[in-house]
Amino acid sequence: MVIEAQALNKRYDEVVAVDSLDFQVDRGTCYGLVGPNGAGKTTTMKMIYCLVEPTSGTLRVFGMNVLKSARAIKARLGVVPQENNLDPDLSTWQNLMVYARYFGITRQLAAGRCRALLEFMQLSDRAHSPVPDLSGGMKRRLIMARALINEPELIILDEPTTGLDPQVRHLIWDRLLELKERDITLLLTTHYMDEAQKLCDEIIIMDNARAVDMGTPSELIGKHVQPYVLELRVHPAMAAGITRRFAHMESQTSGQNLYFYGDTAGDFDGILAAYPDVQRLLRPASLEDVFLKLTGREIR
Amino acid sequence: MKGRGLLSVSPAFLRVWMRNAQVFVALWKFNVFPSLAEPMLYIFIIGIGIGSYIKDIEGVPYIDFVAAGVLGSAAIMQATFECTYGSFFRMRIQNTFEGIISTPVSAGEVSLAEISWGATRGLFNSSLVIIVLLFLGVLQHWQVVFVPPLMFVAAFSFAAIAILVTSRIAQMEYFHFYFAGFVLPCQFMCGTFFPVSRFPEAIQLIAWVIPFTSLVDLTRSLMLDRMHGGMIIEAVWVLVSTLVVTELAVRSMHRRLVR
Repeated sequence: MVIEAQALNKRYDEVVAVDSLDFQVDRGTCYGLVGPNGAGKTTTMKMIYCLVEPTSGTLRVFGMNVLKSARAIKARLGVVPQENNLDPDLSTWQNLMVYARYFGITRQLAAGRCRALLEFMQLSDRAHSPVPDLSGGMKRRLIMARALINEPELIILDEPTTGLDPQVRHLIWDRLLELKERDITLLLTTHYMDEAQKLCDEIIIMDNARAVDMGTPSELIGKHVQPYVLELRVHPAMAAGITRRFAHMESQTSGQNLYFYGDTAGDFDGILAAYPDVQRLLRPASLEDVFLKLTGREIR
Repeated sequence: MKGRGLLSVSPAFLRVWMRNAQVFVALWKFNVFPSLAEPMLYIFIIGIGIGSYIKDIEGVPYIDFVAAGVLGSAAIMQATFECTYGSFFRMRIQNTFEGIISTPVSAGEVSLAEISWGATRGLFNSSLVIIVLLFLGVLQHWQVVFVPPLMFVAAFSFAAIAILVTSRIAQMEYFHFYFAGFVLPCQFMCGTFFPVSRFPEAIQLIAWVIPFTSLVDLTRSLMLDRMHGGMIIEAVWVLVSTLVVTELAVRSMHRRLVR
């Protein structure tokens, strides 16, 4: 067991950031934390890499208590934080070398790893660029390389692909899957449900500091939504009439969109025939539908 | 509760000190010349310019008297800038500290690294001034070899106070209060440009509580070869107060960085 959290709580004065969270992460798996902004995902991660101390409950990483063995825990994990915190005063190469020194890695060993990691993240040609000259995607790849400098057994990634172009996202996904094959444990947060579905073996959906549900992506889809979704783009005034007329089907309204859920694509034939002119999309249900169903479609 | 003060700090703090040194060396041109400008102005404007209108002070030419004050303020001002604006920038704007404490390096080690780096910069700056003073012929006694270590301690004490302030403030603008309310009064009132004995007794007392007054007097006593027994008390006070402030700064920064 790489991470074990029991009744984990974090409170800041009046604000509850994480509320009685229980979960376990096995070695070599990819574990996802998803949830709206402010749900407590980052706080949970920071407790694991010892930047935030739990208020109560137990949290063990590599079998060690985070309150007692922060240094030993941090030596064995790598962190990709939500906000880039590369050292802008140093070049790409120096960022990795200086970071290696924080881990007490010798210069010689570090130089070899830096070369290999720049290669791995396709940054070799930018080794001597100052950090401010790198594009957003390059900075993110450099942060990934930096997180690997100590050959970690656990990598914590807080929204690793937010704001990146599809090429870089795919490169990062490839690398993460490669790391997983090497039996490295991954813990990640993301707002992209396709990413969570693609990478994660298990997922926790968090909302308002609590775990709403957890399971494998397919379990969660099977449990909470029907296999097919029909999206209709209609005026809210019209939506009420449609849902009343097809009250026997499960539906949800959000702004200009009306969603119907069904077991087969044929379930929607009646609706499609009755409203032939409405803009529509019929598709299989995804993790995103589960997410929106459990955490609501409203912005908070 | 586990120790979060100086006792929990390992030599790993040197790894962060080295990071700062590496950045400093890369930007040396920007660091050396501007930081020399202020002490040079003091020497020429106050020491030589205004000094030419002043008769001997405490039995020595004014420039000889003021040299210790100029040296001391070169050390403390550099350390203060480094550990206020510099550290705050690394902490809040660049998030460098967060990156560092995600490794085995602790928040306490980052704090001690910043303080000792501020002290190093103060030492570097005042050493440049010492070289200029040597050329001006102000330094004549062998005891001057003890002045650089004293400058390191002076810079260290102000770096520690600065880190304590930096760890407590939400935005950089609060530094204006710190400079106006503490650093500048220290720079001018601790016997730097004229003897503390000019003040009414109550203010003299306050001045002597601030360790910088002792530091300036120690420096001046060495430079003018006027050793006296009070120097031992001054040295003890400087070391004890610096240690206490450093402990407070390390603990406070830990609370800021690990919540």
